[in-house]
Amino acid sequence: MIKTPAYIHFIQPGLLSSIQDLGRFGMAVYGVPYSGVMDRFSMTQANYLLQNQFFDSVLEMGGPGAKMVFELATRVVFVGADADIYWNEKPVKAGKILEIQEDDLIHIRKFRKGQWLYMGIQGGFESEIVAESRSWYPDITPQSKIEKSDSVCYLSEERFYPALSSHAKMNLNWFKHGEIKVYKGPEWDQLPKLTQNRIMKKSFTISTLVNRMAYQLEETIENEVEPILTAPVYPGTVQLTPNGNLIILMRDAQVTGGYPRILHVENNSLNILSQKRPGDKINFSI
Amino acid sequence: MNIRIFRIHSKLIELVWPKEISHDILHEQLQVRSFFENEYAEGIREIRMGFNTVSLKLRIEISEEDCGDILEEINQLPKIIGTFASKIWKIPVCYCAELGRDLEKLSQIHDISIEEIKKLHSETIYTLHFYGFLPGFMYLGGLDQKLYTPRKKTPDRSMPRGTVAIGGQQTGIYPAESPGGWHAIGQCPVRLFDISKERPVIPAVGDKIKFEPITREVFEDIQQLSRQGLYSWHHD
Repeated sequence: MIKTPAYIHFIQPGLLSSIQDLGRFGMAVYGVPYSGVMDRFSMTQANYLLQNQFFDSVLEMGGPGAKMVFELATRVVFVGADADIYWNEKPVKAGKILEIQEDDLIHIRKFRKGQWLYMGIQGGFESEIVAESRSWYPDITPQSKIEKSDSVCYLSEERFYPALSSHAKMNLNWFKHGEIKVYKGPEWDQLPKLTQNRIMKKSFTISTLVNRMAYQLEETIENEVEPILTAPVYPGTVQLTPNGNLIILMRDAQVTGGYPRILHVENNSLNILSQKRPGDKINFSI
Repeated sequence: MNIRIFRIHSKLIELVWPKEISHDILHEQLQVRSFFENEYAEGIREIRMGFNTVSLKLRIEISEEDCGDILEEINQLPKIIGTFASKIWKIPVCYCAELGRDLEKLSQIHDISIEEIKKLHSETIYTLHFYGFLPGFMYLGGLDQKLYTPRKKTPDRSMPRGTVAIGGQQTGIYPAESPGGWHAIGQCPVRLFDISKERPVIPAVGDKIKFEPITREVFEDIQQLSRQGLYSWHHD
C-alpha cells in the first residue's frame, strides 16, 4: 500500500478547532494536563467506522465555520454534535463515510445540538507526536488550535475494499438526557447535609464559560467550606469556589487545584456533559 | 502516620494528611510514594501529589476493604529517622524593577526596602513539594512570613516566562507566559520546562531550591546560554 503525505488546507478554522487523540498520560507529575478529545465516545465511533486504530487522532471542532480543502483522496466521517455539514456544497449526514477526492471542499455550518463535532480521517492525522500523544495543548505542541490558512497533514492511501458501513445510522440523542452520574469528591463530606441535598436535587444550567479546560455552571451554591491546600484534580473533578460557583474540570484541566473538590463525574457522563451547550440543563445523580 | 484514605471510585483513591505544609508530611508522602512504586507498580497508572495528599489512579479496581488493608500496610512502614537526601538547586533570579514590576508596590505594602525583599526571598531555602498549575510550575514551601501577600484581586493578563512571583503564602516561577494573580518580584533566565526531554524538569520533588540574585547583564548572558541549550544547572 502506497501512502502519500497530503494536507488539509483550512480556508476558515472554525471555532476551537484542534487535533486531539486520547490524551497525553504520564506527564501530569510535571504539571502537564492530559488533554485529548472532549468526547471520547464520538472519537471512538469515528475511528471504528473508518476501521482506524482506536487511538488515531481526529479533528475536534467546538463550533461552526470550518472550511477545508483536501489535497488528495481519503475517507472521512463526522460524528458528535449534530451540525450542518456540506461536502462540495451538498449537505451530508453524520456517520456517512465520505470518499473524499482531490480538491474536495468541506464546510461546517450550523451546530444544531451538541458542543463538539469530530472528523475522523483514514489513518488519523500526521501531526507531531509530543510525549506519546498528538493532542494539541499550548506550549506542549507547536500549535494549540487551528488558525486561518493552516494546513494539517494526513496520509492519502489507496484502499480497494469497501468501508465497514458506509451509512451507519447515528443516534444523535445519546447526549440528550441531563442526568450526570457522579461520585463523592474528597471534600463532599465537609458540606452540610442540607447543601448536599440541594446540590443533588437542583437542576443546573451550563453557563457561557465553556472551554476545553472547564465548564462552569450558572447557579451558585452558598457555602462556607474551608479552602484546601493545593491538591490533585482530574478531568471530571467538580470544584466549589468560595463564591459558590461550580466548576467542572474537563480534558485540558490543570493537574492540581485549590478549590474544594465536592464531586467527580463518572467517565461516560463526562462525554455526555462535554456535549452540553450553554443554556442546557443538567442534574447530578450519585 | 496520621493519614486517612478516601476512595473516589474503584480506580481513584486519595491519601490525606493533616492540613499543613511541612517537611515531615512531604517525607511521609515520598515514603508512601516509593512504597507504592515498589510494591504495587503494575496496578498503578499514575501517582500525583498535593501539599497534604497523594492521589493514585489505578489500573485495577479497588474496594473499600482493600483501602483499609493498604492503610494498615502503610502504617506498618518503618518510621524514617533523619532526613531525606535532597539536592539544593541554585536558580538565578534578576530582582530588578524592570523584571520585577511589583517590587515597588510590595515594598510599600510591607514597609520594607526592595533590598530587604530581595534578601528575604533569596536567603531562604525552599522545598519542592510537587509540580502543578502549569507544565513545570514548582509548588515551593518555605516563603518567609514577612513576604506573605494576598493575591491580586484581578490577575494580570500576562506574566512573562520566567517571572518570579509571590502569591498568598507561596512563591514560584512561571515556566511559560501565562495570566497570573501573583506579584512579580523578578525573573529567572533559565528554561524550567522542556517537553522534548524525557524528563522535562530538573529538580525532583523533595529537592530544595535557592534563588541566587544576579545582575541584569548576567541575566542576559544566562538567558542566551539557556536558549542555546548550553546552560547547566548547579546544585550543592
